Amino acid sequence: MDILSHLTPMFFALIAAGTSIGIIFGAIPGMTATMAVAVCLPLTYAFGLENGIALLLGLYVGGISGGMVPAVLINIPGTPSSITTTFDGYPMAKRGEGERALKIGIVASVFGGLFSAAVLFFFAPVLADFAIKFSYVEKFLIILLALTVIASLCSNMLMGVFSGVLGVWLSLIGTYSITEGGNGEPRLMFDFMQYYLIDGFSLLPVLIGIFGLTTVLLDAEKGFKDETGQGPISLKGGAKFRFSVFKGQLLNLVRSSSIGTFVGILPGVGGSAASVLAYSQEKNFSRDSSQMGKGAPQGIVSSESSNNALTGGALVPLLSLGIPGDSTTAILIGAFTLQGIQVGPLFIGNNLDTWYLMIIALLAANVLMFGIMYFAIRHIARVIEVPKYILYPLIIMMCVVGAYAINYGIMFDVWTLLIFGVFGWVAHKIGLETVPLIIGFILGKSAEVYFVKSLESYGNYSIFFTKSPIAMFLWVLIAVSLAFAIYLRVRNRRQASVES
Amino acid sequence: MESQWLSLLDVTIDFDQSHLFFPRIVTWILVALLAIILITRYRLLAPGLKRAGRVLVGREGEFDHRRFFGTLALTTAYFYLMGVLSDVFPNTGYSFLIMSVLFVFLLSLLYVGRPTRRQFVILVLNALIAPALAWYVLAQLFRITLP
Repeated sequence: MDILSHLTPMFFALIAAGTSIGIIFGAIPGMTATMAVAVCLPLTYAFGLENGIALLLGLYVGGISGGMVPAVLINIPGTPSSITTTFDGYPMAKRGEGERALKIGIVASVFGGLFSAAVLFFFAPVLADFAIKFSYVEKFLIILLALTVIASLCSNMLMGVFSGVLGVWLSLIGTYSITEGGNGEPRLMFDFMQYYLIDGFSLLPVLIGIFGLTTVLLDAEKGFKDETGQGPISLKGGAKFRFSVFKGQLLNLVRSSSIGTFVGILPGVGGSAASVLAYSQEKNFSRDSSQMGKGAPQGIVSSESSNNALTGGALVPLLSLGIPGDSTTAILIGAFTLQGIQVGPLFIGNNLDTWYLMIIALLAANVLMFGIMYFAIRHIARVIEVPKYILYPLIIMMCVVGAYAINYGIMFDVWTLLIFGVFGWVAHKIGLETVPLIIGFILGKSAEVYFVKSLESYGNYSIFFTKSPIAMFLWVLIAVSLAFAIYLRVRNRRQASVES
Repeated sequence: MESQWLSLLDVTIDFDQSHLFFPRIVTWILVALLAIILITRYRLLAPGLKRAGRVLVGREGEFDHRRFFGTLALTTAYFYLMGVLSDVFPNTGYSFLIMSVLFVFLLSLLYVGRPTRRQFVILVLNALIAPALAWYVLAQLFRITLP
């Protein structure tokens, strides 16, 4: 009954506001759902946990969904996960079916989002129940597995591994926390840094810097040129959308949503991987894929249902294991910590009301996203025209608020934002992978505690291999993920040499 | 025999030095990975660095120096002066408000280049209204700490 008391008009208004803002962010090329969550984070400081979650999940769902708008209208994915929407959405828009293409995407998105919310609801508690039994050894191996999976699926595995380890290293700067059983001594810094870095770099300024300021710097470097070379395609006129277009698409919807949810569950694998995988599966298995790439609705269905299915999927490892599934959930983990919530195996059991509210918020965000986008798509499409010279200064301003307010007014957190904004730009230039770096940064301190405590208890490195059948199984998974990455690399190289 | 082999993997962690145990391992892994990257890519490294240098000084590629370094300079000045001014107006958010108005206007101006009269009016209004709105909603309504 406690849950009902939280389902206030304010709760739903915040979901609607979050979804709308998220859609706007997603619809502007170069701005992502991650950025939306990072920039709007300060707003949650004023709300309680439940309302804060409502806003954040709305932003997440809206941000992922909004990416389809520029993908269809100007052939540029608003978010990386909409990359395959351009393949069929833009050709449809060019022949005057822009509104139809967008509405197909909206319906597919809501299906994917609701499908993954259902998977989250049934699967996360089971995984959490299983994970409760884990000792420090298994918890360390889970983190190792997460980092291995992330790194192995990067475009360059070596750089992916390096980035992940660098993220762990950066997280260790500061003192070895006494509350975690450490000795309270500082490490990895010079004496003059101790005043600022005694507790290390704060998570959220680091994330806001890498996902907010870095984006601005990357665009500033390009000089804010009009990437399209032409204005957006008008939505007026053209063929009307009818639900009958989904006749025969159920299998495509379910398969693509399943792929999106599964990819979301894998830590650190981006939305673009989900949509590319779902799109290629539809191309391989559908009866008639001859029109795909030329403006076939089935292409939009597979792309949009899979990328929205990512939302629920990415929350599974976050809420059951405490491991973020993607960059946006990496920021959510910081937002939860801010609200005093420790995500991990005990989260669902100890916070049953919050858990149910999250599911309700996720369902409501998807339904509201559908309502807002379906009925206001012509207005939303105009967001593409908002110039970045207006938006980007405001984004930096909001980043400052987020960084400064996180620890109730520490100016060094604002400098951290700048340091990591520039670092993110350099990382982008030298080919470091952002997602493993961030996940390494988030999980680094926990990895240290689990690793050191395991060795303090057992006194032998072999414990990581022999502790339990689960530990052995986790090593098998680590080996499989590495082998799979090597197989993919060899296959791609062979394909490239055949094509050349 | 087996226990002899296993004893090679024995480890004792001195509590006084325990803060260095894991960071040392991670640092060595990082150094090893960096060495592998440098060894496997040393042929690409020198030309890559040279090209980066040429791009940064404007001899090659498309790099908007004015907007990129302007963003960095304005952002650094924004953060620095906000800190200085917050000592004058502690815990009011005025420092954030004043500096944000200036920053938003100057950065927008930098990005636009040569604004038309209409654009100029939009930039001024945006620089005045948006920070004021943010300050009012966050600092006054929501009581969020601002510089």
